[in-house]
Amino acid sequence: MAKTILAVDDSGSLRQMVAFSLKAAGYQVIEAVDGQDGLEKAKNQVVDLVLTDQNMPRMDGLTLIKSLRGLATYQRVPILMLTTESSDDMKAKGRAAGANGWLVKPFDPQKLTEVVKKVIG
Amino acid sequence: MSKKKMLGPQVKQLLSGVSDHGSAHLSEVETDLAQTALLLGEAIEKLGFSFMALHTAVSKEHDEIDFVIHSGFVPDASVDRLKNIQLEIEQHINTAVTCLQFQDLTSQLISRTMQRCEGLREVLNVLGVAGEDMPQDSETDDIAFLLRETTSRLEKQSADLKNLLRKAVHQKHLDSGDIELF
Repeated sequence: MAKTILAVDDSGSLRQMVAFSLKAAGYQVIEAVDGQDGLEKAKNQVVDLVLTDQNMPRMDGLTLIKSLRGLATYQRVPILMLTTESSDDMKAKGRAAGANGWLVKPFDPQKLTEVVKKVIG
Repeated sequence: MSKKKMLGPQVKQLLSGVSDHGSAHLSEVETDLAQTALLLGEAIEKLGFSFMALHTAVSKEHDEIDFVIHSGFVPDASVDRLKNIQLEIEQHINTAVTCLQFQDLTSQLISRTMQRCEGLREVLNVLGVAGEDMPQDSETDDIAFLLRETTSRLEKQSADLKNLLRKAVHQKHLDSGDIELF
C-alpha cells in the first residue's frame, strides 16, 4: 500500500508541485492550506510523513510541529520542513520543535523524492 | 525666545524621522522588487528553455516511435535511444518544476512589499491626523508636545513594521535549496 504524505503550504502552486513530484514517485499526497488545516487533517488520518512550510496564516509550521508532537499518534512520524527560511537560528528552532529535517525552497523533485524515500522508504 | 526657535528642534526631529524611516522602508521596497524581478526573469528564461528542450525531446521520441512502427521491429538501438529520451524528459521536467516554484517565492516578496506600503500609508495618516488635531490657535507648549508625541508614535510604527516584515525569502536564484536531515 502506498505511503501517505501530508503536504502543508499556503501556496497552491507549491502544493501542486509537491503533489506532482511525490505522486510520480508512487506516494499518496494529502494537501493542507495552512497549519490549522494540516493539524485537522493529521488528526483525521495518521500519515507516514508530514512536509510543512513555515510561514503560513492561522498556524505556522513550528506551531504545527509542536502540536503534532503533542499527539500520541505523531510521536514517531517524520516531519520535514520545506521552507524559504535557511538561517541556522530557524533550523535550530525547527529541530527543537521536533522536525526531522529541513529542506530549503525551491526543491528539486528528484532530490525531494530521494530524501522522502530515505526517511520513509 | 521666539515661538519659531522653541519649536525648531521638535519640527526638525519629526521631519528627520519621517525622512530617515521613510527612506529605510523604501530601500527595502526597492530591494524586494529588484529580487522579485531577478527571480521572475530567471524563471521565465529557464521555463522557456525547459519548454523548448521538452518539445525537442518529445519530437525525437515521436520520430523513434514512428521508425519502430514503420519498420515493424524494435532494434536495441531504438530501445536505448528511447530510454535516453525518457531520462532527458525527466530532467527537463525536474528543472521546470523547480522553476515553477518562483510563484511561491515572488508572491511572498510582493506580499511583504504591499504590507510595507500599507504601513507607510499609515505613517502618513498619522501625520495627517496630527495636523488635523492641531488647533489653529495652539499654545507653543501644546504644539511641542504634539510634535514629540507624533515623532514617538512614528518611531514605534516604523520599528513595529520592521519587526512584522522579517525577511524570509533570501533566494536570488532558482537553484534548488539545501537539504539537511537532523
